[in-house]
Amino acid sequence: MTSASDRAHEWRTWRYMVELARYKPWLYALEVLFNPVLFYFVPLIPALIVRQLLDGLTGSAPAELNIWGLVTLFSGVWLMRHAFNVVAIVTDIGLNHVGIALLRRNLLNFVLQQPGARALPHSPGEAISRFRDDTESIPNFLAWTMDPVVQVLVMITGLATLASINSLITVAVVLPILVTLVIVNNATKRIRRYREAAREAAGGVTDFLGETFGAVMAIQIAGTQEHVIRHFEQRNEKRRKTALADLVFSQALQTFTFNSASLGTGILLLVAARSMQGGAGTFTVGDFSLFVSYLGWLTIVTSMFGNFLILYRQTGVSVKRLMELMPGAPPSRLVEHNPIHFTGSLPPLPQPRAAEPLQRLSVRGLSYTYPGSSHGVRGIDLDLERGSFTVITGRIGSGKTTLLRALLGLLPPDAGEVTWNGRRVEDPAAFFSPPHGAYTPQAPRLFSETLKDNVLMGLEGEEADFDAAIHAAVFERDLAELAHGADTLVGVRGTRLSGGQVQRTAAARMFVRRPELLVFDDLSSALDVDTERLLWERLFAKSGHTCLVVSHRRAALRRASHIIVLSEGRIATQGTLNELLQSSAEFQRLWEGDLGAAQPAPESDTAPA
Amino acid sequence: MTDSEPTPPVKSSGRKILVVLRRYFAPQWRHSLLLLLLLLAGIALQLINPWLLGQFIDEAIAGAPLNTLLKLAGLFLGFALLRQLDTVAEAFLAANIGLRATNALRADLARHCLNLDMAFHNARTPGEMIERIDGDVDRLNNFFARFVIDLLGNFLLLIGVLILVWRIHWQLGAALTSFSLVTFVLLNRLRDIGVPYFRDARQANAMLYGFIEERLSGTEDIRANGGVAYVMRRLLEHARRLFRADLKASLMSFSVFGFTRALFMAGTGVALGLSAFLYLEGALTIGAVYLAYRYTEILLQPIEVINRQIQDLQQAGASVARVQELLNRSSRIQDSGTTPLPQSGALPVEFENLTFGYIDDDNASGAPLELVLRGLSFTLPAGSVTGLLGRTGSGKTTLSRMVFRAYDPTGGAVRLGGLDLRAAPLADVRRSIGVVTQEIQLFHASLRDNLTLFDPVVPDAQIESVIRELGLGNWLDSLPEGLNTLLQPGGGGLSAGEAQLLAFVRVFLSEPQVVVLDEASSRLDPATERLLEQAITRLLSGRTGIIIAHRLGTIERVDNVMILERGEILEFGPRAALAADPASRFSQLLAAGLEEALV
Repeated sequence: MTSASDRAHEWRTWRYMVELARYKPWLYALEVLFNPVLFYFVPLIPALIVRQLLDGLTGSAPAELNIWGLVTLFSGVWLMRHAFNVVAIVTDIGLNHVGIALLRRNLLNFVLQQPGARALPHSPGEAISRFRDDTESIPNFLAWTMDPVVQVLVMITGLATLASINSLITVAVVLPILVTLVIVNNATKRIRRYREAAREAAGGVTDFLGETFGAVMAIQIAGTQEHVIRHFEQRNEKRRKTALADLVFSQALQTFTFNSASLGTGILLLVAARSMQGGAGTFTVGDFSLFVSYLGWLTIVTSMFGNFLILYRQTGVSVKRLMELMPGAPPSRLVEHNPIHFTGSLPPLPQPRAAEPLQRLSVRGLSYTYPGSSHGVRGIDLDLERGSFTVITGRIGSGKTTLLRALLGLLPPDAGEVTWNGRRVEDPAAFFSPPHGAYTPQAPRLFSETLKDNVLMGLEGEEADFDAAIHAAVFERDLAELAHGADTLVGVRGTRLSGGQVQRTAAARMFVRRPELLVFDDLSSALDVDTERLLWERLFAKSGHTCLVVSHRRAALRRASHIIVLSEGRIATQGTLNELLQSSAEFQRLWEGDLGAAQPAPESDTAPA
Repeated sequence: MTDSEPTPPVKSSGRKILVVLRRYFAPQWRHSLLLLLLLLAGIALQLINPWLLGQFIDEAIAGAPLNTLLKLAGLFLGFALLRQLDTVAEAFLAANIGLRATNALRADLARHCLNLDMAFHNARTPGEMIERIDGDVDRLNNFFARFVIDLLGNFLLLIGVLILVWRIHWQLGAALTSFSLVTFVLLNRLRDIGVPYFRDARQANAMLYGFIEERLSGTEDIRANGGVAYVMRRLLEHARRLFRADLKASLMSFSVFGFTRALFMAGTGVALGLSAFLYLEGALTIGAVYLAYRYTEILLQPIEVINRQIQDLQQAGASVARVQELLNRSSRIQDSGTTPLPQSGALPVEFENLTFGYIDDDNASGAPLELVLRGLSFTLPAGSVTGLLGRTGSGKTTLSRMVFRAYDPTGGAVRLGGLDLRAAPLADVRRSIGVVTQEIQLFHASLRDNLTLFDPVVPDAQIESVIRELGLGNWLDSLPEGLNTLLQPGGGGLSAGEAQLLAFVRVFLSEPQVVVLDEASSRLDPATERLLEQAITRLLSGRTGIIIAHRLGTIERVDNVMILERGEILEFGPRAALAADPASRFSQLLAAGLEEALV
């Protein structure tokens, strides 16, 4: 986390803004020029009209008085401003959503490029709060980025107008505005700290909600709903406190800047008192009205500038939090210009190409240790020949899954080298996806889409390919029994299917991509004897598959061309079934545990020669 | 599917909102009263200052002594400072009220949803639930904090300003009053127009977060199977839909408010012209003209705030409607039983002509999709252990879920200790059962909370002894802070097998009367499984057990065997008898297992 935040500091917040602005320059230009000009400048006009009117009435103005002309002009200015607001809304929402979509796209894309088993620094629920709140703050600030320029312009215009009436009074009333600016600027460090604490507490809330609703059944059975809610309330309470501190501090700052308007008006009263006495004429009622109006407005403009500084700090916090989701990434990745296709049709999905056929896959010295623990795998060497069936076995916690993940780049290896037909694989995570490899994890995840979409995941192909994959995964009978067949919605995380059906759907997802290397982690753990046997039979009926499998099941071990026994993260022993049954006590224990007391038959006698 | 949840038409959200408001606002009436007082003080301060300015002008023009003018200026400054203090206090109080009220609502909502049936949860992603419990309620924050207070306060401000304007001149008062009235009548007519659009936008949001959360939980599957491009494309589809829904909602609401606002601005112009004429006719002083102009400007504020609050009401209306939708969704599992189950001792489990089919949660009629269990009748004697076999998808897991009443039967009944599950309190049913499944969900919380699921009563010593009994003693000792160690999100660092052992610890701690092991040891290697055997034997002794397995080895300990096929009982009887009968499916399976061992 610290390294991520250090990197985020390599770019100041404004540089992200520049990149975002450049993404849709015309939309940006429209938003930041049109809106602020409308917002800041238009209110200057009615005040001038009113001054004219008041001076006309008191006889201070030289021109002929046309009351209704002035009134029409007054109303007209406001009506025009409102009419233009429609444009403002469209550009505002447009710029916002474009920015949000781009950030989310870049974030999710980066997360999906990460070692899949360690893609997020925290939980998915916690990440949601970043995907939700922090991506919204950044484009929201983008709309403000040109405001200071317009603010300065409107200040100059307003002050010049005032100075042309009475420069001494102008200087006197502007002083408080300057003082507040200095103070606000000095307070911004604390703004940042309060905002960070508030966002972190918010992450704690979404994190917990996500986990809770992923474990509803367990909680219901345990009957601890009330305890869970109490824990939830604690996290909510923490968020309340941090959010209050965040809000009250920035509110107090804003109020403070705002206060300078009243101070200015008070000073105006003091200074102008003499000049106005008895209607002497150096400072007219109209002038007075204009001063009060402008002072009010210019102070609002100043407080908007204070606001801008506060927002800038808070946006910096959001940028940092998003970069924490992208550890090691250059800052430009967050705001990289990629198409988001808000209009028009979406382009076709890229389809996998044919791969160089696998002849030999070698692994040398592969190591991975989980951060902050001694668990992991160390110094793994293995070779897979084309058409071989290699089984990795071992006790729980011996590192079987870790080995697969490190090999496939789903965990970032600490050391080691993987070669494909003798050539080094530079980026295993990118390399070991179809057409080179595909993987079915121990607890596969399906998504709330149709069964077919889950299997194909955007793959365009013949109907026959889908049917073949379903057949290979021994799913054809289940498919026929599902109410809507391949169009059945599988429910959240596939909950409308049984555990075994989820595993076989995931297997079909792998088969349909025809990868060179098939990697299964404990595929058959939820399959019955018949189904499992059928699955291996069908897999072996087609030649040319190279398989790497984690299993402790005899059905798999018996078909293995090579068996690797892991113990405490290292290869304890390896060989063929016969060799291991004769030489390895550890393997014998693993082998015999399976049928246990029921079948303590001396397997080595009956094993194939 | 939730992707296309229909949007029912909204007539008036007013009453629903009041109900929610009353429940969560009422407990904070003291704070709210204080907030109202601050608001009223603010209004008074706001009205005094223009009056001081008007006085100042008239006094200055009339040539009053400098002393009088300076006194007026000093007063002005003092009131201005007071008003700023008032503003900060008001902001703090309002935010606090809002956060407290929304937190209470969040907790209630989470509690309600947590007790809903599984058909509901199977149709909703955790991400969608986050958005519905946290996101939707968040939109109510401002509403809770400010709505009533602001509405009331600004209404008073409006009346106050109008009275003051009437006092300046009745014609001015009449003109501004009629403009205000027209504006409000229009607003009231049009205010609900935006609600369905805001609701669509909220739903698009919830769908997007549901989508993202689900994908973030499946990064491994997506990455290693080349699904990244596909997922990215779906994300963009969601983003596009959200953009369109949001734009529509904003334009819709603007068309209402822009119109009324423009109308009111025209009114301001008329008032300005009118006061100018009244001055020329000698009915007003110049100070009064200025004051009238300032008051008209101030009048804009309550109209704007009320405008904004009604706009907020539209959004709040959409959120409240979604919150209500959740709260109105009652669990399909009615907890109306009153006959207590025995507190200890094994219980017999009995199914009588039980039929069951899952219900599509969006389907209001509640008709089951297709039958998963068909006409099951059997009795598992108290203290017996039954092995449940069958192809995947044959209904084993569903059958086991009927026992702890995750679902109610479509037809027939399930009895525990002779009592229909529906006649017993739900808490009794759940307390009497312990379940270990293949999947275990871990929390980003302490090990202790993970094992007790946040129950603070279970003593540490008991937890530790169970952990050691299950052979995890070394692992426990290796943890830096023992039971208080924070488990990493997603169980990082724990192997799937170790996580499964934790599920066993959970069940041991709950001391159930009936135990369901659903593929409970499938992730364990045979050697570890044997280590666990003793513990399982102890767990099952004196309890009724149901063991779902596809490995024959797993069910050596069972008394009875039941084989399911397509939701029907293919075979049910004592294990030994079935094994001895060469015609039985069980003995064929055994043979297949043996044959497998011999090939």
